[in-house]
Amino acid sequence: MTNPPVRHYSLLIAPMVIIMGAVIGWPLIRTLMLSFTDATMMGLNPISFVGLSNFQKAFSDSGFISALKISLIFAVSVVTIEMMLGTTVALLVNEPFKGRNILRALLILPWAIPTVVNAIMWRLIYNPEYGALNSLLTQMGLIDSYISWLGNPDKALVAIIFADVWKNFSLVALIALASLQSLSSAQMEAAKIDGANAIQRFGYITLPHIIPSLQVALVLRIIEAVKVFDIIYIMTKGGPANKTRSGSIFVYQEAFTNSRMGSGAAFAVIMVSLIVILILFYMRILMKKK
Amino acid sequence: MRTFRFSRFLIYSAACTLLIYILAPFIWLVIMSISSSADLTTKPLQWIPSALDISAYRELLTMGINSRGELFLNGLRNSLKTALMAVTISMLVTIPAAWVFSRFKGKKNIILSLAIFTFMLPPVAYALPLYRMLAKIGWLDKSYAVALVYCTIILPFCVWLIKENIDNIPYELEEAAFIDGAGIFKRITMVVLPLLLPALGTVALLATIMAWDEYFYAMLYTNSKQAITLPVVIANLASGRQSNYSLIAAGGVLASTPPVIIGLLFQRSLVKGMVMGGVKE
Repeated sequence: MTNPPVRHYSLLIAPMVIIMGAVIGWPLIRTLMLSFTDATMMGLNPISFVGLSNFQKAFSDSGFISALKISLIFAVSVVTIEMMLGTTVALLVNEPFKGRNILRALLILPWAIPTVVNAIMWRLIYNPEYGALNSLLTQMGLIDSYISWLGNPDKALVAIIFADVWKNFSLVALIALASLQSLSSAQMEAAKIDGANAIQRFGYITLPHIIPSLQVALVLRIIEAVKVFDIIYIMTKGGPANKTRSGSIFVYQEAFTNSRMGSGAAFAVIMVSLIVILILFYMRILMKKK
Repeated sequence: MRTFRFSRFLIYSAACTLLIYILAPFIWLVIMSISSSADLTTKPLQWIPSALDISAYRELLTMGINSRGELFLNGLRNSLKTALMAVTISMLVTIPAAWVFSRFKGKKNIILSLAIFTFMLPPVAYALPLYRMLAKIGWLDKSYAVALVYCTIILPFCVWLIKENIDNIPYELEEAAFIDGAGIFKRITMVVLPLLLPALGTVALLATIMAWDEYFYAMLYTNSKQAITLPVVIANLASGRQSNYSLIAAGGVLASTPPVIIGLLFQRSLVKGMVMGGVKE
């Protein structure tokens, strides 16, 4: 293929480069610059260069370390559960049974509900006084007294994980199902004739076929989960006792609420580096396999 | 035969569990939205409302000065406006860019990788300098500013998906047009664009849902009824001290309606769009 004889094709990508650069590129560079200063939101004092001290403080800040841990625990938990649940559900609705098409259609419902609405819906369900969960569990005789699901430091993160799984398992299920539907039945029949049992057919045909799609879902979900902000912020604002404060929420509070821009920027730079390392590491493993 | 029946039984019970798992939380949200406050504040709960109470919907959908309805309806309008602007700008920017990425192999794809890389960045990493930039040029609390910011969420995946689609359009078609004397603009609009329409439709729907869903930027960069979007309005409604559960639930149901309808109607093409970018056959 010869390149089209257009000299000024850079002009065609210019709008995209300008938008991405103005909204993300330049502010990101500014963040990097701020991370070496003691700037505050109000800007009353003259900004001075403080070298690496923000970074030194960040690595010894127990609040920041625990926020990173919470992001990691959240991401690993939701992604693992969503991948397993989503794949299982896809395999289920790929089987022939009555009402299968209705179930397939409804699978998109959790995904389509806005994140904010999902968070609020579960907050109402978890309500300590009049929540549906407390009422249901009491009526079933499973608990004696109402529980403050989101107000309890040991339960809040689990409750949020459960809420996130409800919305996002459906994305995994939809992607896995689309892949299962493109599996040729001829191949399955041939394997059956060759005497492969159900487990062998799953391991040698079904699974290898859907793995590329599952990897796409996995990358999408990991990236979204390590950045988590909205669902936690709306359900608990990071509380109780900071037990649900993720990395993103920590950075937000430091920069916007406490108006410490310099150190907030340093936290952000560290977080971005960790995410990029994580994703590149994962991509590397994928590439090697291929 | 026996094991066959048993496996049938397993499948049907799993299907029922799944049905309840998917529907129960949302149906409960709908029930809350049509229940009276009295029904929602008894112990144990009144699961089936004693009477149909649509006052929450009436309150949210009635325009009155400084009322919740005014805020909600403004949020609805702003969400529509912002999403529409973001999707339109994104489409206009995507088509030429995706064409270049598809037709010129080589170093131009570095920019594409960079764009996809931005998807990994948590918005908190650059939200503050961006806030100060917007404040400096007087763009805070403006729908067009939020729309422009949303383009950066939409663009990377739009460009990627449309590029994949252009890859499938034979270049010979364009060459023929070129020999007939068509310029670059004509080649894209007359040859490539008509073949792209189905893919553009899918991408536009996905992009609309993304923009409709966004909360973080809107929370930071809007605060008055001229630009505040629906997710922010609803989150504020729910975080208020005085909690009117049916009102919060009704807001949630109304905000979910457009994406849920789009999802149910266009499931097949939406899923195809989600998978297309990453999986190469």
